[in-house]
Amino acid sequence: MSRSQRSADATDSDDATLELRDIVKYYGKPGQGRVLVLDEIDLDVEPGSFVSLLGPSGCGKTTLMNVVAGLVEPTSGTMRRGGRDVTPDDLSSGYVFQEPRLLEWRTVAENIEFALQARDVPESEWDERIEKYLDMVGLLSDADNYPSRLSGGMKQRVAIARALAIEPEMLLMDEPFSSLDEITAGDLREELLEIWREEDMTVLFVTHDINEAVFLSDYIYMMNEVGEMFARRDVDIERPRHYDDPAVAERETELYTEFHEQVVS
Amino acid sequence: MDRVRRILWSVASMLGLLVIWWVGSVAFPAVLPGVGAVVEELGVILTTPGAYGHMWYYHVWKTAEMIFVSLVVCLAVGTVVGVALGTSDWLETATSPWVYGWLAFPSLVVVFLVGVWFGFTPLAGYIGVPIVVTPFVVLNMWEGARNLDRNLEEMSGFFGASRYQTFMEVIIPQLVPFLFTSVRSALSIGWKITLLVEALLLTRGVGFMFKRSFDNYQLTAMMAWLVVFMVFLFIVEYGVIVPLHNYMTDWRPEIEGVQPTE
Repeated sequence: MSRSQRSADATDSDDATLELRDIVKYYGKPGQGRVLVLDEIDLDVEPGSFVSLLGPSGCGKTTLMNVVAGLVEPTSGTMRRGGRDVTPDDLSSGYVFQEPRLLEWRTVAENIEFALQARDVPESEWDERIEKYLDMVGLLSDADNYPSRLSGGMKQRVAIARALAIEPEMLLMDEPFSSLDEITAGDLREELLEIWREEDMTVLFVTHDINEAVFLSDYIYMMNEVGEMFARRDVDIERPRHYDDPAVAERETELYTEFHEQVVS
Repeated sequence: MDRVRRILWSVASMLGLLVIWWVGSVAFPAVLPGVGAVVEELGVILTTPGAYGHMWYYHVWKTAEMIFVSLVVCLAVGTVVGVALGTSDWLETATSPWVYGWLAFPSLVVVFLVGVWFGFTPLAGYIGVPIVVTPFVVLNMWEGARNLDRNLEEMSGFFGASRYQTFMEVIIPQLVPFLFTSVRSALSIGWKITLLVEALLLTRGVGFMFKRSFDNYQLTAMMAWLVVFMVFLFIVEYGVIVPLHNYMTDWRPEIEGVQPTE
């Protein structure tokens, strides 16, 4: 489906904020009984915004995003949009995992085909989409290459192209740049913002890196290690942002202080 | 190393073997027939019918038939059992001692048992060989299934792939190296057992011909049959296994170290 078609098909609720309320998730762990990973979480994802979930490792932020993705079934809680209950299947999201998770035995283009086939995109659209999104991440010339010949950053670009190719309204990203070197990660963040602006979509981004969250986000949800969401903070810094912008560093320091107080005490 | 050099080294090593053989036959003429005598005997074997009026290729064919039919059976059974073990915790806990017991079971006893149960018939072989070989395939595929990447399955599930698409495009390709190693070890164990079955229970096949030469104390004939059998194995190795390996690992520039279980 092209972008114009989709907005024609869209109902009013698609343009409304996605609201998660009182999301609770327990995991059964051997020998530990039930462990609470999400403690009555509320989360608002406004359409077109760049939202980050920030917290230390193991705080449940990935679990929360997987609730939105439909990979994790919450113990309780509601997900609504435009006054109606929605399921992950209604949301049309693309996922960029922490690792590229590519099929090493298929070429770059075939990896994207895999997702298109899985999402029942008509075969007649495949070539056009593959070309468009590989071009968008700058890998058009590597379409017939195998992933094992690509660098870590290039693999993650393929993963981004794969997520974009199904033309989701919302892009879910789970620490997608955390295993890359800082220079590659920096380039990819800027490219991501460019794509986000051009494609006019919503991004839900999980990270433990305060600097990354500030640089990318419109607003940030902060979680602590006992599975509580303790704050929502806006980042009112004009775009395009720069890494060396003092305003970014300043906001980062503020959030860091707040984090430190909350998580340590 | 370039191609020409590689071929030269191979030829040199073959010649070296012949030299060792020749020296050995001169030193111990009573127990090691000479190269010339074996070549002569080979000529006889390849041109005249042997026991029961069968030509040499009848025996080779019967041996090959038993090996390959058994191979197909134990690959199919071993893959199913191995993948089941590797993906189900309770099955693994409940039945892994069985597999280890099965592996430890002496193959000679299997051959005797199928002889008793099914008589001195080919059927005994078709049952006995897979019984011996299958646990090795199970062990390989079990390992393969344990190493399946759950993250890829999650990815596949997220994008909404059907069970069929996931199985064909995500699971199977991950098992290919293990399947290949299984073919390798199944083949190498399979022909040894096939020969044993033929020698002890049957009146056909290369194993039977070895046994016959042994019974008649025809050392030269045994060596000549050994040459026939080795040539057959070389053809299988370079005609089937190597091309198959290259085909299956085409997509990966470097081959991961998969340990064969043998």
